[in-house]
Amino acid sequence: MLTLLRDLRRRRLELGLTAPDRGRSLAVRHVDAGSCNGCEHELTLASSPYYDLQRFGIGVVASPRHADVLLVTGPVTSRMREPLLAAYRAMPEPRLVAALGDCALGCGLLGLPREAGSGVEDVLPVDARIPGCPPEPAAIAAALLELIDGASVRRPAPAALPRPVEARRANGASLSSGPGTRPRARRRRRS
Amino acid sequence: MSGYRERVTAAVADGWRVAGVHAADEGRTVRALLVGESGETRLESSPVVGGECPSLVDLAPAIGWDEREAHDLYGVRFAGHEPLRPLVTHDLTLRHWTVGVRGHDSYQIAVGPIHAGVIESGHFRFHVVGDRILHLDTRLFYKHRALERAAAGRTLDEGLAYAARACAACAVASSVAYAQACEDALGLRAPDELRHVRTILLELERAWNHLNDIAAVCAGVGFAAGSNHFAALTEEARRLNAGLAGHRFLFGTVAVGGSSLSLGVDAVRSARETLERLRSGFNEGWRTLQFDHSFQDRLPGVGTLSPGDARSLGTVGPAARAAGIGVDVRSVAKQLAYEGFAPAAQARPTGDVRARLEQRAVELEQTFGLLDSLLDGPLSAVAARNGAATNRFGVGRVESPRGETHCVVERAGSQLERLRLRTGSYANWPSVAHVAAGNLLPDFPLINKSFELCYACADR
Repeated sequence: MLTLLRDLRRRRLELGLTAPDRGRSLAVRHVDAGSCNGCEHELTLASSPYYDLQRFGIGVVASPRHADVLLVTGPVTSRMREPLLAAYRAMPEPRLVAALGDCALGCGLLGLPREAGSGVEDVLPVDARIPGCPPEPAAIAAALLELIDGASVRRPAPAALPRPVEARRANGASLSSGPGTRPRARRRRRS
Repeated sequence: MSGYRERVTAAVADGWRVAGVHAADEGRTVRALLVGESGETRLESSPVVGGECPSLVDLAPAIGWDEREAHDLYGVRFAGHEPLRPLVTHDLTLRHWTVGVRGHDSYQIAVGPIHAGVIESGHFRFHVVGDRILHLDTRLFYKHRALERAAAGRTLDEGLAYAARACAACAVASSVAYAQACEDALGLRAPDELRHVRTILLELERAWNHLNDIAAVCAGVGFAAGSNHFAALTEEARRLNAGLAGHRFLFGTVAVGGSSLSLGVDAVRSARETLERLRSGFNEGWRTLQFDHSFQDRLPGVGTLSPGDARSLGTVGPAARAAGIGVDVRSVAKQLAYEGFAPAAQARPTGDVRARLEQRAVELEQTFGLLDSLLDGPLSAVAARNGAATNRFGVGRVESPRGETHCVVERAGSQLERLRLRTGSYANWPSVAHVAAGNLLPDFPLINKSFELCYACADR
């Protein structure tokens, strides 16, 4: 059966999927920072009819300018470090970073450290961690939903917490090479 | 030093093909892998003297990338390879790695490394006039993890992870090529049961990949009904993998010197039922695609690869077979259970997007047939046997969903000295760039998806 768009609603009922929630959304920009392509394949299927992430208001957007969350796969190879930072800098506040898959989380890394990198945490502040090699589409969907729920139920409060970017800089890690390239401080408020 | 070129020249005249070139021994030696007409392999080596070694690129244009990679990663200069453009090195300016295109109204469009969808990272530089592509320069290796170098010094067993994780989409093919290369070096023979189980795993991998690739072409023209249908089938195929072997991409199912996969009667029966459902779902979806004219109108005459260009570029896999070149490692895979195999051929191998899509369909039908005959009973763990001569070198060749993947290992005892993995994607990227010229820029995503190559195992 070809899953025509007009049949999607019926398919959802047949598969026992819940009705889409209203009033919330999450725009995701994916960046492959050196994965084995497994995370990409599973992320692609998270938008396929079996999971249909779009019904929760979660969609992959074409530009970081339109994104709420930067979803990063791979260990951040030396050649993807700058493009990743450029994508992060292009995002409007408030912005979140999610590390997708074990390579992005810095576990079980293969390759030489200089070329392969050591995980997203060393480059950007990470708000959500999605483990797995690769994480299954259902796990990706669940983690993104948790992120969206967490972000929406948090009560606005003045930004008093230390900002992770600067905290890490204080610990000696350098985020970027020069003035003007530092990501703007995050203004996402936490309860 | 000159003997290397002469030996290879003579071999090529005798019908051997240069399948790959790599630097070994920290750039002090260059080795060429030659493949004979019935699948036999041999390595020819040349010392690197004064940082230089003769090039083979005029004898075998298909190994252009190999020599550029050996130069960038090991500093070997190839005499006669002019210009030796950078491939892995990213530090050089535009004029070093692009072809100069000048003329009235010509301009460049830079795309990537980050793309608009869920796509791997790589940079494309289009030289265009209006919407017409004059030339495409690709710059990949953004995902280079130095896997081959990192694998050196590991044990042969540990090295498997480096081949397997080069790429999830071809993980089984790369793992089997690596395992075969190690077994070749260790003098191990694969008994029939081991050939049988590896062939099943390879065909399961091909099934989900080809379903995924058909979905990708549908997505490439924005045909949601088709991409949804085939994405759902891809999901079911990956669930089948998880049910059979505990992993959706079949990670961890291949080992050096044996297989630990065991399947009972019930598991095999249930897998056969799922495959039957997948097959009928595929047939139904494929029939619908055939009669959707707005979809079909986008495919013919786009991204056409001629048989002559496919031969000189060394195109492999479904892309080569869609251009009428019947190369398929499965025809000569003595270490696998492909007795009597003949490559699937379509009625009109026109080498365009339509032909590459149809090639996936005829091969899927063949894969379902192979799995039907291979999954004929329970499977149990099996080990390879001693008995063949041991060697410092080993070679394994496998047909991945994207074409010939080969692995060359050099060992010192049980330790890996050099791992070289050359996958179907690596072989075919130059073809993608070549066929883009002359097409419309908005058709490039479609052309790219009709090859559906991995960046991960090309970059390693």
